Amino acid sequence: MTALLEVNDVTKRFGGLTAVKNATFTLQKGEFTGILGPNGAGKTTLFNLLTGFMPPTSGTITFNGEALQSLAPYKIVNRGMARTFQLTRPFVGMNLLENVLVACMSPRAHVDRDKEERARHLLEQVGLGGRGAEPVETLPYGDLRRLEIARALATRPDLLLLDEPFAGLGSSEIEPLAQLIKRLHREENLTILLIEHKLREFMALVSRVIVMNFGEIIAVGPPEEIVKNPKVIEAYIGKTEDAHASA
Amino acid sequence: MRQISLIDVAGGIAVVAVLALAPVFVASNYLTGVLTVCVIYGIWASSWDFMSGLTGRENFGHSLFIGAGAYTAGFLATIWFTNPWYSLPAAVIIAVGFSLLVGFPTLRLRGPYFALAMLSASAILQRLCLIFWEYTGGEEGLYGLDPLIRNPLHYYWFVLAILVVTVIVLTLLAQSHWGLLLRAIRGDEATCQAAGINVTFYKIASLAISAGFAGLGGALYAHYQLQVSPPLFSVVVSITVIIMVYVGGIGSIYGAAIAAILLTLLTEMLRGFGEYRLWIYTLTLMLILFFLPNGLIAPLWRRMTERFR
Repeated sequence: MTALLEVNDVTKRFGGLTAVKNATFTLQKGEFTGILGPNGAGKTTLFNLLTGFMPPTSGTITFNGEALQSLAPYKIVNRGMARTFQLTRPFVGMNLLENVLVACMSPRAHVDRDKEERARHLLEQVGLGGRGAEPVETLPYGDLRRLEIARALATRPDLLLLDEPFAGLGSSEIEPLAQLIKRLHREENLTILLIEHKLREFMALVSRVIVMNFGEIIAVGPPEEIVKNPKVIEAYIGKTEDAHASA
Repeated sequence: MRQISLIDVAGGIAVVAVLALAPVFVASNYLTGVLTVCVIYGIWASSWDFMSGLTGRENFGHSLFIGAGAYTAGFLATIWFTNPWYSLPAAVIIAVGFSLLVGFPTLRLRGPYFALAMLSASAILQRLCLIFWEYTGGEEGLYGLDPLIRNPLHYYWFVLAILVVTVIVLTLLAQSHWGLLLRAIRGDEATCQAAGINVTFYKIASLAISAGFAGLGGALYAHYQLQVSPPLFSVVVSITVIIMVYVGGIGSIYGAAIAAILLTLLTEMLRGFGEYRLWIYTLTLMLILFFLPNGLIAPLWRRMTERFR
C-alpha cells in the first residue's frame, strides 16, 4: 500500500511560539484518521499547513508523491486535498446551489456539461436535496456544515480534511452528520482526516488517532489503545493530584 | 443562473430608443455633443462596475485605462498618422496591457493596496505625460486627431451602439458562472481557494476586461474631442466614475451606465447656475448616497418592475 499523504518533520513557528513541532505521520489510502488534542494543541494550524493556507517553517508534505509545501491553497485542492472550515464560511448573498456551483467550476471538479446538475446532485448527497434556492444566511449550523462538505466534495477529493465538523451542534444534529461522514468514507472511497473535540463521536468514527499536545504529536494508534495511553490521559485530564499538591 | 426578464429587455430598448431619438427631435449639435460625452461616461462607469462592483476590489485609478486608450488614439493619429479606425483595437490592447502590468503585482494583495496602487499608477502616468512633453505635448496634450465619423449625429449613434454592446456583454458575463465566481471572490477569498478557484487569475482577467472597455471609451472620447490632454488621467475622472456607479447601484452594470448618462447631463444642465453648479451637484450626490446607500437607479428599477417578474 502506498501512502497518500506523508508529513515529514513539519514545524510552524509564529515568532517565539511553536504551534506545530516536528510533526511526522503518514496517511494510507482509504484510512479514516482523527487528530485529537486540547485547545491550542496546533490541530487547526496543522490543517492550514497541509492545505497551503500557511507555509510551514520547515519540513516536507508529500501528497500522491508530490511535494505540496510551496503550493497555493487552490492548487492543493486541485491535486485532490479538500477541507472544510471550523467556522463555516459560506458565500453570503448566494443560495445553496450557487455556493456549491463555485466549487464545481474548479479545474478538478471537471464538469463539462451541466454544472448546476452536478451541484444539485452534491446537495442531495449531503442531505440538502431540493433546497438549492434557499439563501445561505438563514441556514442552521448543522446544514452549513453539510454545505461545506458538499463544496469540498465538488472538487472530487482523494483526501478530505474536516475541521471540527461537530463543533457547536446539538446532539440531534451530530448523529446524522456522523452517519453522513461515515457513508462518504465508505461509498466514495475517501480518505478522511478529521479534527474533533467530542470524544464519543470521534472514537466511533475513526480507525486511527493522532494525538497532539502543545504542537507535538504525542501518540498514534487505534482508538482503543489511545484511551489507555497515560500521556493522552495526562494531556486531557491533567496530572494527578500529587502534581497539584506540589505546585 | 439569474435570468434577465422580459421587462428588463423592454426597459433597455425603451431607454436606448429615447437616447437614440432625442437628438433627432431636438436637432442641436450642442445636445448631440453632450449626449456623446454622457454615453462615453456610461461605457467608463459600466466597465468599472464589472470588475470592482462584482469582486468588491475598488479600483481608484480607472482613469489610467481611460487615459491609456485616449493617448493611444492620440499617438496613432499625430505621430504615425494611421487610419483613425485603428485607434479602437489599439486602445483596447494598450489598456489591457496596462491592466496586466498593474494587476499582476497588486491583485495578489488584500485590503486597500489594490485601490492605492491603481490610484498611484494613474497619477504616475499623468506626471509622465508632463515630463515627456516632447512626445506627449505636455499640458496641451496632442491635438489634430481625425474624427472617426464626420457627422456628429452618426458618431453619437455609433458611440451609443458601443455602449449598448458594452452593457450587454458585461451583463451576460456578470450573470454567467464567471460572474458568480467574481461575486464569490467578493464574499470570501479563502473559501474560493478552498473551492479550488484561482482567485488571482479571475481578478486579473476581470480587471483586463474592465480595462479593455475603458480604453475603448477613452479612444472614442479622444476622437470626439479631437485632442487628448493629461487631465484624462486625473483622479477626478476616476472618482467621478466611481460616484456614477454608486448612484447607479453597484454591481448592476446597467444602473452604472444610466447614472453616468444622467449625472453627466445634470452637470451640463447646471451650467446656468454658474459658480453654484458644483454646490448643487455635490449636494445632490451627497443626498443620494446618504439616503440611498445602495444607489438609486438599479434599486428603483427593481422596485418598479417587481410585479412584472
